[in-house]
Amino acid sequence: MAQIFPRWTNKIPLMVGVGAPVALCGVVFVVWYYFSPRFTDVGYQPKQPVPFSHKLHAGQMGLDCRYCHSTVERSSFAAIPPNATCMNCHANLDLGERQKRVQPVIDSYEGKKSLEWVKVHMLPDYAYFNHSVHLNAGVGCSSCHGRIDQMDVVYQAEPLSMSWCLDCHRNPEPNLRPHDQVTNMAWSAADADAYDAAKDPNRKRKFDAELVSPGMPRTPEHLNPPISNCSGCHR
Amino acid sequence: MNGHLSSRPSRTAHLSVRLLLSTAVAGLALAGCRGNKSAEPPVHPNLNMDFQQNYKPQEENAWFSDKRAVRALPAGAVAQDRDRSDVELNSGRGADGRLLNGLPASVKLDDALLARGEERFGIYCSPCHEKSGYGHGIIVQRGLKVPPPSFHEARLQAMPLGYFFDVITHGKGTMKPYASQVPVADRWAIAAWLRVLQVSQRAQIADIPDASREQLLRGTP
Ligand code: HEC
Ligand code: HEC
Ligand code: HEC
Ligand code: HEC
Ligand code: HEC
Ligand code: HEC
Repeated sequence: MAQIFPRWTNKIPLMVGVGAPVALCGVVFVVWYYFSPRFTDVGYQPKQPVPFSHKLHAGQMGLDCRYCHSTVERSSFAAIPPNATCMNCHANLDLGERQKRVQPVIDSYEGKKSLEWVKVHMLPDYAYFNHSVHLNAGVGCSSCHGRIDQMDVVYQAEPLSMSWCLDCHRNPEPNLRPHDQVTNMAWSAADADAYDAAKDPNRKRKFDAELVSPGMPRTPEHLNPPISNCSGCHR
Repeated sequence: MNGHLSSRPSRTAHLSVRLLLSTAVAGLALAGCRGNKSAEPPVHPNLNMDFQQNYKPQEENAWFSDKRAVRALPAGAVAQDRDRSDVELNSGRGADGRLLNGLPASVKLDDALLARGEERFGIYCSPCHEKSGYGHGIIVQRGLKVPPPSFHEARLQAMPLGYFFDVITHGKGTMKPYASQVPVADRWAIAAWLRVLQVSQRAQIADIPDASREQLLRGTP
């Protein structure tokens, strides 16, 4: 009688036994590595309608971030500056050859067409974020946006994932600075080590490492980032 | 016959495993590594409620021809939360319509005000006017067509404080207004700091309080 299962089928259990876990590990790896915002979002560098360079304006010319993002300390939204802000300078500048690089801004200012800047950093709509709270707590731009002053075209440097938010909320201390340093892009780890937030008398919000943990009583004057109270960010 | 049969499928099995592995490797290589720069919008593997039917500030709305979800205000609109009843504070002018020569009654002169003024002057004014007020800021060095005047010239030294508030609010000549960037309270802080700069440049040694004078002459803190 002919055999129904040829001989090689004996190896199927072995192949399944070895192959399935390997394949499963592969799937887990692919999801872990590629579905993470560290892969999907970090490095997003859209093409912008104007070759505007932070490296030139904020880096070489040393403009403070708040000159353009002037609502960042007052509102939840940092806001892309209106054309009028660019025109403060560009109305009185003639860049010669390079003037055409600024022309879209001038046209837009004169009402021809709005500039369509492409948003780089974007949280899902179900997550709430507020710039002013973070700045008034003494968290600097570069902790969340990287070295913007070295970018010709802005890209996303941090994942903005929930775990990334929580990593800082659980232990904000290494990311706290004196208030006058929040827009300092060159603030380094060594500066952070030298600064003791708990002892700074000028802080608007006092810092006490003890109080930054789930379940501790909230006090109005101490920093208290949401950690386990989901509605802090999902409101 | 049997042997032949049994060896063929196992060779195909090997082949397919190899094919699978190489596509996987090629796939991973094509997908790239974390942090690579890309102009493609981020992929959301799980859409959830990432994009909801509401508009955030400055978002796009294809309905309008200029695509702005936030509509321009009608001319003359006043923000609801802006209290304009304090005329001195908001216009820099007294009841008689003349520019104030001092701070409005509701603003207190103290160290905090001057510290704030120094910081804000550094952010909004120093790119052109320079931290010292002489007017050789970085933007002027980079080719601003009309250079700003020095704050230490006699004409500007003689100006009442309200004038500086007025220039920040409404601009002057080729200098654009800074009202949208600098809130009212900060404008007064900047004006006060501007006066500090002016005074600092014509100060005499006798103007310095005794305690600090000694320190200054010693040259060490
Ligand atoms: C001269 C005006 C100007 C200055 C100064 C400036 N920015 Fe910007 N910024 C812009 C404009 C215009 C855009 C939108 C175009 C773009 O993304 O490049 C922008 C975009 C950004 C974005 C990306 C926003 C998004 O779409 O997610 C970040 C983050 C940012 N700026 C941070 C900073 C920081 C930090 C500083 C200070 C070091 C700074 N900016 C200084 C004008 C300015
Ligand atoms: C405080 C003054 C100031 C402001 C505000 C400002 N710029 Fe500029 N910008 C300059 C100067 C000065 C230069 C020329 C720099 C140089 O010497 O290369 C310049 C150069 C440029 C260039 C040409 C760069 C190149 O690579 O050739 C572009 C494009 C530009 N700006 C766009 C903008 C936009 C868009 C805004 C508004 C978000 C803006 N600028 C706001 C001062 C300013
Ligand atoms: C604690 C982290 C954090 C800090 C500190 C921070 N940002 Fe942001 N920023 C974000 C996040 C998150 C977003 C995306 C917000 C969204 O999509 O709702 C964002 C978005 C932006 C945008 C795009 C417009 C907007 O508001 O969505 C600009 C511009 C910006 N940031 C500038 C700045 C500047 C300038 C500073 C420093 C003065 C700063 N940010 C400090 C996390 C931060
Ligand atoms: C680098 C540190 C840091 C990062 C990153 C960070 N935060 Fe925070 N966050 C803080 C600190 C510090 C506070 C406490 C502020 C206070 O109590 O004054 C805070 C407070 C908050 C609050 C409470 C605001 C309120 O009104 O009480 C919210 C909401 C919040 N963060 C959301 C986020 C989200 C969402 C992200 C991620 C996209 C994020 N944060 C990333 C440091 C950080
Ligand atoms: C510090 C702010 C913060 C707190 C506190 C927080 N979240 Fe989140 N959460 C976020 C942000 C930001 C995202 C979006 C992350 C992203 O874009 O990948 C998110 C995403 C999520 C998602 C969707 C994940 C996905 O990709 O589908 C769930 C579910 C969620 N949070 C549940 C919770 C629960 C439950 C809690 C309370 C234990 C909580 N969150 C507390 C900031 C927060
Ligand atoms: C983009 C460069 C620029 C910036 C930034 C700027 N100014 Fe000016 N400012 C000028 C120029 C140019 C003039 C000369 C205008 C003219 O005479 O046409 C001027 C003139 C002035 C004058 C003198 C007016 C007169 O009567 O001659 C004052 C006062 C002044 N600015 C204050 C300020 C203050 C305060 C700030 C910060 C909030 C500021 N400026 C920011 C460029 C600038």
